[in-house]
Amino acid sequence: MAVQLNSKITYIFKKREFGIFLFILVLLAVFGSIEPRFFRSDNLSAILSSVGILMVVGAGQTLVIVTRNIDLSVGSTLGMSAMVMGMVARENPDFPIVGLILVAMLVGGICGLINGYLVSYGMIPSIIATLGTLAIFRGAIFLVSDNVQIDPEDVPKDIISLATTSPIGIPWLLIFAFLSIILVWYISSQTLLGKRIYAVGSNPEGAVSRGLSFNKITILVFVFVGVLAGLGGVLYTARYATINPADVARGLEFDVISAVVIGGTNIFGGSGTALGTALGCVLIGILSNGLTVVGVSPFWKACATGFLILAAVAIDNLVRKRQEQNFLLAIRNQRVTK
Amino acid sequence: MMSKLTNSPIRFKVPGYLIGPILILVAAMIYGSLGSEYFLQPASIIFNTGRYIEIGLLALALTFVIINGDIDLSVASTLAASAGVLAKLFANGVPIFWCCVASIFTGFVLGLINGIIVIKFGLPSLVVTLATLALYRGLTQVMLGDGVVANYPESFVGFDQRLLIGGNPGLPAPLALFIVASIIFYYVLHRSNYGLKNIMSGSNPSTSNFSGISVNNVRLVAFALSGTVAGICAVMITSRLGSTISNVGLGLELLAITAVVLGGTDIFGGRGAVSGTVVALFAIMAVREALVIQDINGQVQDAAIGLLLILTVLVPRIRSYYVDKRNRKKRFNEAQAKA
Repeated sequence: MAVQLNSKITYIFKKREFGIFLFILVLLAVFGSIEPRFFRSDNLSAILSSVGILMVVGAGQTLVIVTRNIDLSVGSTLGMSAMVMGMVARENPDFPIVGLILVAMLVGGICGLINGYLVSYGMIPSIIATLGTLAIFRGAIFLVSDNVQIDPEDVPKDIISLATTSPIGIPWLLIFAFLSIILVWYISSQTLLGKRIYAVGSNPEGAVSRGLSFNKITILVFVFVGVLAGLGGVLYTARYATINPADVARGLEFDVISAVVIGGTNIFGGSGTALGTALGCVLIGILSNGLTVVGVSPFWKACATGFLILAAVAIDNLVRKRQEQNFLLAIRNQRVTK
Repeated sequence: MMSKLTNSPIRFKVPGYLIGPILILVAAMIYGSLGSEYFLQPASIIFNTGRYIEIGLLALALTFVIINGDIDLSVASTLAASAGVLAKLFANGVPIFWCCVASIFTGFVLGLINGIIVIKFGLPSLVVTLATLALYRGLTQVMLGDGVVANYPESFVGFDQRLLIGGNPGLPAPLALFIVASIIFYYVLHRSNYGLKNIMSGSNPSTSNFSGISVNNVRLVAFALSGTVAGICAVMITSRLGSTISNVGLGLELLAITAVVLGGTDIFGGRGAVSGTVVALFAIMAVREALVIQDINGQVQDAAIGLLLILTVLVPRIRSYYVDKRNRKKRFNEAQAKA
């Protein structure tokens, strides 16, 4: 029993997510000791609400990156669904809130479907296709809204209260974030679909020759990230209450991809976990808020994010190389003993 | 049918990758000339090129990086950091000439850093340059803060207004520089040893390695080149704008990459041409200027470029799909007839 427990503990210590977790603890300790106000509840809730939006979109992006694709258009998709939802709410003030959320998710899903078709049946590399739709969706926001922004008084009070209240104490925004992380965890580790997604990511030719439909799975993950970005649009509206057609969620894709990469998802596909992405989002949220709170110039934030990505990928690479070496050594030892 | 075409007296054949950009260019010119009769006047065309030359130079250098199968997302941030060094040195009283030299050198070093991280650590260039995109932009922000550096000497400002050949329409210095650069890049990529190595190492890295090409060196040179060109562009953009702020050149990387991909360079490496990049740059320029003439919002202009990017990649694929299908059907029918 003791041995088993011991091995379990070393297993947890060896997990990659544990390293990110430790780093988050260190950051918390540093920021907290420099500036005790960092731990005030209003600051913590500010961090969490910005992390929540990142988590919802990052959860979907994890699955996209696992399939060797990338979605650069998430920021524009989020903006598009927030804008359409805001306009529906402005025209019909009595629209039920669940309906509004569904509208946003539907618009996100349609954007994702377009991306998915371009990448799968159109055979366009995802980085080019989503680079194009990044600009197209942003242009569409402008055309749909006629360059009129959604003001706080147009947004229903129920939507705004999603960011602050809920039946069980934590705001709806965080509940949605946790639910989407749990959903991705469940899909990726508990279902056959998840196995297929990882199979396509780690060896596309092999997966196709085993009878998996590459196109269907690609479309599915893009629709999934689109729907989650739509949900992110609801949360964005809840948090900021204003939707400006020119700069809604501009540059969000950079933060999301950074968080996913820091969370240990391999940009070449095939590996990555929902928990890692969640921790990556928390890390970015704490870092950007903490730097401001302790009085470091906010200009260092971009530098810090860049360093963090580089460090995460470099450490990942070292670990992977060592694992490969150990694997080869183990095979050789087996042969020698035989 | 085929033999008739090859026997036709017209020997000149437009390469496939140029057809899309040329069509876009012509369409944009027609559309723009509907908006204003002055749109197609040589003077107005040449005057409009000034703002696109930096993107063009970045795209030329990126062509090499992308042919290698790499990507450099950090070019615009490298440009900003070089411009930041230039501004900071100038503000501290260094003569403007040495500021420019330092700026170009900074670009070279930053490009080299990208290359070294990618090659020595064996990391994917997409992630590394995504990180340095943030890192270099952050360095610029740390260097310049909220401030503006201006008051550059008269002799330095207004590079884009200077005419090499006077008259109407004259030849502005940036356009001349771009033409010279295109010719040099054309010779390097399509007529020199290095260009051949570049294309080979992009199309099959391991085979190239075994046939005695140092693929890593080729890639490193491409990264250093893209950094150096970004440094040169930093000097040009500072001279054109006459002031430096920390978000100079924000988002230029997307336009440059669009120009490269629109020009037929394969994003996975191994195929590409300088002529494609040059024509694609002019196509992008024509589209944007035509939409400006027709008074269409900037966000929609970007969307139009994005749509064209997708269409130029998509249409040839759809076409080849149907051609394949027809050929398969033909072969099937022939086999049936034989049986």
